[in-house]
Amino acid sequence: MSNGAGPGDEAGGWRRLDARMLLVHPLETLIRFLPALLAIVIFRAGSDDNDRWELYAVPLIVAFGVLRWVTTRYRITEGQIELRRGLFTKQTTTARLDKVRTIDLTARVHHRLLGLAKVEISTACGGHDRLVLDSLSVDDGRRLRAELLHRVDPAVTGLPAPTGAPTAVEDVPDDAPPPVDEEVLVRLDPTWIRYAPLTVTGLASAAAIVGFASQGFSRFSEERSVFRDGATWVSRLQWWVDVLLLLGVVSLLAVGAYVLTFWGFRLTRNRLGTLHTRRGLLTSRETSIDAARVRGLRLDEPLGLRLAGARRLKVVTSGLLREQGGSDWLCPPAPAGVVTPLALRIRPDEAAVSGPLLQHGPAAQRRRTSRALVPAILVAAALVSARFLWDWHGSVLVLVPVLLVAAVALGRDRYRALGHSVTPDHLVSRHGSLDRQRVVLDRDGIIGWKVEQSFFQRRAGVATLVATTAAGAQHYDILDVPVAQAYAVLSQVSPDLLAEFA
Amino acid sequence: MPVVPEPGPREPALPEPGPREPGLPESGLREPALPEPALREPAHRVSRRAIVMWTIQALVVLAVLLAGQVVWWLVDDAPSRTPHWIVGAAWLVGGAVYAVAMPQWRYRVHRWEATPRAIYTQSGWLWQERRIAPLGRVQTVDLERGPVAQLLGLAAVTVTTASAAGPVTIHGLDLPVARELVDALTAAAVAETGDAT
Repeated sequence: MSNGAGPGDEAGGWRRLDARMLLVHPLETLIRFLPALLAIVIFRAGSDDNDRWELYAVPLIVAFGVLRWVTTRYRITEGQIELRRGLFTKQTTTARLDKVRTIDLTARVHHRLLGLAKVEISTACGGHDRLVLDSLSVDDGRRLRAELLHRVDPAVTGLPAPTGAPTAVEDVPDDAPPPVDEEVLVRLDPTWIRYAPLTVTGLASAAAIVGFASQGFSRFSEERSVFRDGATWVSRLQWWVDVLLLLGVVSLLAVGAYVLTFWGFRLTRNRLGTLHTRRGLLTSRETSIDAARVRGLRLDEPLGLRLAGARRLKVVTSGLLREQGGSDWLCPPAPAGVVTPLALRIRPDEAAVSGPLLQHGPAAQRRRTSRALVPAILVAAALVSARFLWDWHGSVLVLVPVLLVAAVALGRDRYRALGHSVTPDHLVSRHGSLDRQRVVLDRDGIIGWKVEQSFFQRRAGVATLVATTAAGAQHYDILDVPVAQAYAVLSQVSPDLLAEFA
Repeated sequence: MPVVPEPGPREPALPEPGPREPGLPESGLREPALPEPALREPAHRVSRRAIVMWTIQALVVLAVLLAGQVVWWLVDDAPSRTPHWIVGAAWLVGGAVYAVAMPQWRYRVHRWEATPRAIYTQSGWLWQERRIAPLGRVQTVDLERGPVAQLLGLAAVTVTTASAAGPVTIHGLDLPVARELVDALTAAAVAETGDAT
């Protein structure tokens, strides 16, 4: 497949990055070395040296950026995308177009000011074959994305090619309707921000901000009495006021992180089924996921969200990288009344998305309970012995019953979560209490099975059935399922496979 | 949320649906009358020499522990040598049991079978697992021979699928058997075209 005229085209169809990246690159280098620069400035403040020798670095950085711009080229040719980089060590990365899974457009604040976006192309093989174009203009990026995901010649953008062999464009009837129509599946409702403090992600980002800030404060606290006075004031308050204060601060920070990440979240689907998310307040991020690569859905219901009647939705797809946090989100924490219908629109299988599940029986229940209780009993025993051997304060004993009750509750809740079901198109598995998740996996996407049994599982007559897949977490487990049920699932989903060894 | 087992209308009936009520009190150890597991054991055992291989591997682990013990003996300045004898005896007994029992146990568990359509293995000892991969999804077939395996004329065959979680490995195969298996698997995998994801 060849591509015709486009801005920046050169001989052989090679295209360059956008020239405005020349501005972005020095800026990013500057930001990266900001701590070092600050250190230099602070150091200089104490000396008489007036030689601004760090300025010599500026032309070097600019030259480096120019070099990168000159040496980086990409083109789409013969069913491949090719990226060529480097002056001394020339590096060429190619990826077959039909292996392209997802495309991310990321624009940080300075990118957005200049109308640029960084394009990341993920292919089947994960990290090794990832192509990064930093940066293209937003329009070029979107055009490239359309070319890659729809595999059409820009001249006939109206004709979608079925995924698979890129030569299959002829299969499309001439009277195919135009593709422009995108349906909006979900749009962020600002009231959902109330769920931000209820997730671990939100709390973790809040904790990160607190840690970062406290480091900064501790450097000044010696000179600035404000901080010292503040600390004294806080320590004089009642303990529950302190707790409330902490909760308030953490919630605010979590809300801030939520707004930064998910502001303007929008999930759309075009006529070809490509899922497309867009989000972010300062750094905007667009992710496109080829429908043919989607292998299922994951409904997350962590404890906090579950109590508030909320959940979130992720996609199970091949080609998304784990370190790209959040690319797989199809819906931020939102009311169940929004998320469940959304999941149904992407996978219209009511039994799989919200139907009842088969429970795993008394052996599984005993295992959940004992696995929750044993650590709790150990900790309780440690507390009791600490009380009597090392004279710890008597109040630690209050923790013992709390701990045991919590463990029993956790075990019960974990058992209630445990379940699986097989529908005509999907395998469903649910587990977890604090981090409950329900995975709806396409039966087509399962590329192998494992039946795992530990020593104790064999005695209890249960097994962990693992469906392996090329997508998402690579494997999805059905925990502590009775052996007969495990083989029943196998025989339903892969009857021909089982027949080989029955 | 109590859930009720409800096989879908288009589904074949499950042999044994789970008990319906969560939290019902247990009436003794009710080991359900399981129907014969639908999956039989894989047909072939691995080579008997695999027992020797696993024993040697266990002895290597013991040798590392022994080296640690010797270093401790030389470095320690305390007058009493009792802790040394206790620790040494503990791992020696445990290690001896491990070196004797583990290889036998492994050998009894390890089995494999390959058909033109799928590969099926059973492995492990304390933790056991069965793996099945359809050959249509196979991406690579590897034959590996570690130093011990080379001495004993053994080889391991690893079959990788597009899933990072699903490599199927058969340890302790006779080298000719392993070569034959690799050829058969490669032929079967080549016959199958497609994306394998």
